[in-house]
Amino acid sequence: MNWAADSCAFFAAVQPLGQLALSHYLITSAALFAIGLIGFLSRRNMIIMFLCTELMFQAAAIAMIAFSRFHLDVSGQVFVIFILTVAAAEAALALGLVVLLYRRRETLNADVWSELRETPTP
Amino acid sequence: MTEAVQLSLGSGWLAAVDAARSVIAGPSWAGWILWLPLISLVLCGVCAALKIHTKLPAWITVGSLAISFVVIVALYMSYRQPMEIPLLDWFNLNWRSNDGQAGSFVAGFAFYVDKLTLLWMLFVTGLGTLIALYASEYMEPDVKRGYARFFAGISVFLFAMSCLVLADNLVMLYLGWEGVGFASYWLIGYYYTRPSAVAAAKKAFIVNRIGDLGLALGIWLIYYNFGTVEYANAQGTGLFQILASGSYKHEAGGWSIQAIPFLLMLGAFGKSAQIPLYVWLPDAMEGPTPVSALIHAATMVTAGVYLLARMLPVMELHPAALPTVAWIGGLTALLAATIGMAQYDIKRIWAYSTVSQLGFMFVGVGVLTTYGAAFHVFTHAFFKAVLFLTGGAVMHGFAGQLDIRKISGLRHMPGWQITAWTMLVGCLCLAGFPLSSGFFSKDEILAQVFAVHRPWLGFMLLFTALLTAYYTFRVWFRVCAGPVSYEMGEEHHGHGDDHHHGKADTGHKAPPRHAPPAHVAHQPHPPRFAINFVLVVITVGAIISTFSGSWVMDKVSHSSAAVLHAADSHEHHPGWVPWLAGTIAVAGIVVAWHFHLASRKSADALRARLLANPLTRWLPTAMENKWYVDEFYEWMIVTPLWIFAHALYLFDRYVIDLLFVDGVARLPKWMGRSFQPLQNGVLQSYAVLMAGGVGLAILLVVVLMPHLRPWLIGFFGGGG
Amino acid sequence: MDPTLAYFAIVLGAVALYLVLRPGSRAIKAAGAILGLGAFAWLLVEAGRLLGADGRPESFFLIFSVIAVASAVRLITHPKPVYSALYFIMVVLSSAALFLLLQAEFMAFALVIVYAGAILITYMFVLMLAQQAPGAGRPDAQPEYDIVPREPGAAAFVGFIMLTLLSYMVFTGAPMLPVSDPQKAQALIWDKLELMRGELQAMVERVAPGSRLVDKPDVRMMDDVAAVQAIRANQTEPSWIVLPADAIPNNVQLVGVDLVWKFPVSLELAGVILLMAMFGAVVLARKQIELGEDEVREAAGMRRLALHADEPSEHQASAGPGRPRPGDES
Repeated sequence: MNWAADSCAFFAAVQPLGQLALSHYLITSAALFAIGLIGFLSRRNMIIMFLCTELMFQAAAIAMIAFSRFHLDVSGQVFVIFILTVAAAEAALALGLVVLLYRRRETLNADVWSELRETPTP
Repeated sequence: MTEAVQLSLGSGWLAAVDAARSVIAGPSWAGWILWLPLISLVLCGVCAALKIHTKLPAWITVGSLAISFVVIVALYMSYRQPMEIPLLDWFNLNWRSNDGQAGSFVAGFAFYVDKLTLLWMLFVTGLGTLIALYASEYMEPDVKRGYARFFAGISVFLFAMSCLVLADNLVMLYLGWEGVGFASYWLIGYYYTRPSAVAAAKKAFIVNRIGDLGLALGIWLIYYNFGTVEYANAQGTGLFQILASGSYKHEAGGWSIQAIPFLLMLGAFGKSAQIPLYVWLPDAMEGPTPVSALIHAATMVTAGVYLLARMLPVMELHPAALPTVAWIGGLTALLAATIGMAQYDIKRIWAYSTVSQLGFMFVGVGVLTTYGAAFHVFTHAFFKAVLFLTGGAVMHGFAGQLDIRKISGLRHMPGWQITAWTMLVGCLCLAGFPLSSGFFSKDEILAQVFAVHRPWLGFMLLFTALLTAYYTFRVWFRVCAGPVSYEMGEEHHGHGDDHHHGKADTGHKAPPRHAPPAHVAHQPHPPRFAINFVLVVITVGAIISTFSGSWVMDKVSHSSAAVLHAADSHEHHPGWVPWLAGTIAVAGIVVAWHFHLASRKSADALRARLLANPLTRWLPTAMENKWYVDEFYEWMIVTPLWIFAHALYLFDRYVIDLLFVDGVARLPKWMGRSFQPLQNGVLQSYAVLMAGGVGLAILLVVVLMPHLRPWLIGFFGGGG
Repeated sequence: MDPTLAYFAIVLGAVALYLVLRPGSRAIKAAGAILGLGAFAWLLVEAGRLLGADGRPESFFLIFSVIAVASAVRLITHPKPVYSALYFIMVVLSSAALFLLLQAEFMAFALVIVYAGAILITYMFVLMLAQQAPGAGRPDAQPEYDIVPREPGAAAFVGFIMLTLLSYMVFTGAPMLPVSDPQKAQALIWDKLELMRGELQAMVERVAPGSRLVDKPDVRMMDDVAAVQAIRANQTEPSWIVLPADAIPNNVQLVGVDLVWKFPVSLELAGVILLMAMFGAVVLARKQIELGEDEVREAAGMRRLALHADEPSEHQASAGPGRPRPGDES
């Protein structure tokens, strides 16, 4: 209880994030986003691609939490809840689709699903 | 010479005023002059649609034209003073412009009848009736083919010509003007399967367009300057009335007024085949001979003379206009006569003589003897109709043979007497043999030329008269006199059998499916009743027209074409002119007699001698080749136009079509094709593009926009 | 204020990532990894320098952010999907740590529970389901598509552009953001108590037993302490009662109040989305049955096409009359 009170006191000393710290968090977030993007663009395994989208969600969540802290407004954290929701829904559906696709072609390679290409004309 | 014209202005107008001021309403039954040919046209069309293969269309046409002639005669009988006969409302526009100026454009479908109109209409409908009668026999072989079409064309022509002559205003005149051009096109191209006929029809039509453009512009300028296109009306605001009152501003119009006579002149030259637009008329002989006689000799080609005579007050708006008319007429007369001398085709000779005689008429208008011009038109209509119709009879009988070197001694052949002797009368008139009709009418013009002191023009015309007498009797002595000999033509009938023309040799052997028995044998068949009757009647008309001088004088002098000035009276005509002219005519006939009857070989010898001499070699060659005018036009106008058209065609084909039309279509195609590889179906390449696009969007909005903002605000005026 | 060096660090990071991504020797990949981490650290330092501070980030933040970025790099470079998933858990855990540093405890734990606990387990299941059938070649051989990335250069380039732009925005935007006033922020947080009547009542009774809140309680900050008006046990007039410091709403309370008071519709929508995702997953997971036209007609209560009724095609012959009805099968 004492620890709890202490921790409460610790947290109660509300100190907003400085601009410097904010920019650090944001750069971390941007780096994670860029890495996720690069992974999505370069990996050919469909599951890894979805993992990379989750990574990008993570990056967005970090940015939101950082801003929430910076502005001292919990709305940012609420948005992260929604991000979690969407991520969960997306994971359920996307993984279902991946399983479906895997059943058809017996491979997780995204490149095999390219029927929608335009046949090159001379 | 300018003084003479200036002198004439006032008095001429006075007459016009007198003629125009008292306009009364005429009888409305005169409208039948127009309606009858229209009805005939419709009935001919019905005949064609019902496939009536009899002579019914001819009788319908002849009947309606005859009634039309009777109506004209009745109108003539009842004529007291100039009349206006409104038939239909056509253009009746009145408006008030923004600045409150009232304006109007009134052109009713109405007749303006004065004595000039009556004179013209009498011979137009009279000759029209007779020639339609003649054609009923002449066109016999075509009964199963274009018979109805031919007579429909004649009806159209009569309708349009009546419109032209009877018109109450210039717009209706223009309607008739274009109508006769259309009828001419229709009938020249009657044998439409023959390329030469089609080419001739096109040539006539296109050359006439040039003249018609002049006429149209002239009419527009008249409306622009005078605010009316009516000749005369009861309110006194007609064209002649305005001109007579002098209430228009001559200097205000400036060039736009002074250009009117020249534009009208251009129209007249086109329709009446004068330099430089005469080239269509000789080619127009591709049409059936009755058409040549009616349209291209007697009536339509005189429409130009009619126009100038009718518009005489307008022609005096520029002092140089009438002298120009005179000189161009004179030059045309000379040129056409020299060409006619060297031709061998009867119809062509008559065609060139027509051009030449039309030149005389224009000289008549140009030197202000509208009486002489109209008299010559009148006499010429008869004798030239006779000549053409006799030529047509020869053509009809000798299976299209028209070469004067291949027919001889017609008057000794059985059944051809009427043709030969009527042709002689026509030739005498054309040659101006003393006391013939042509002699009097031509003399009227010649005397006037000398009376207004234009000796050069006068002597040129006298020389032309000599040539005329020569080439006229060259035909008669060759064809009608001398020993009997003939060669049949290549065609079954005088007028190009379109179905067999391309294979002439087999055409003779194959039994013609439409020809009467008389045509089967390769024997000339003399003309029968209809042709002979018409020949005799018109010849009688030609003879009678000799004595019509004072009658025509009366007609002309009581119309807008009246010219009353000192030089116009006979007293001022030099007395020696008729003598000289008569002598010259006789001399020409004698020369023709020598070369073409007495010793025909000498003509060939003369030609050979001229050809042998390098200095004179050009003369017969150039004359036989019509002075290379067609070739000159071809080189000067047609070829550049063709090149221009071809350049435009290439421009259209390769720049407009290929570059713009197809290019605009190809641009997206090409762009699509160049971006096609992007759509490779691989999900991640799409993602790359999308991420790149998002990056670009951020770049634009976040990085570039702050720099672009001032520029954008400046560009769009700071609205943003 | 010259961000050129920062951009240079980004370029360096992109090059390092490319080196790690492209199939090559282990040494190059290791060098790329070190280079990349160095570049990331340099970027952070540059950011600090650019924003005028001494440039040293908080040590916990540095540790966890480096762990997160390194795990993320490993995620996208590891050839084995299972390891990638595990590295993703690392990313999630380190972000959760970052969340804690940002005093977002609820979200930190929710993240770990939902992501690392639920979503990643799903991934694991799918990876197991979609494992390559062993047999051809070595059983543990990785498929080619896991080893060879496609176009790492282009991907690194696009990612570099994105990172550059985001950094640019951070560099130019962060200094312009208004700095919050802690006092005011604290007041706002205290104000949230007004929405929690029960909590507030309990708090008031703890401080002054028997007191009762006024109808419309108004929590106010007064000299670093918060007070609320309440009617004490034996009084009729309301008086200010100072709330204890630990009465300030904690993070879970704040999030909950915000979620319910500010975003109720969004909350409902999130529920609907999850429901639909569940339906979708169920539908997708069903075994697919191909119905011929005749079966469709039969199921719709129409008679079979006459053509097929007389002379059954090969397809129908194989189906045979004893074929179970489509409805039975599902």
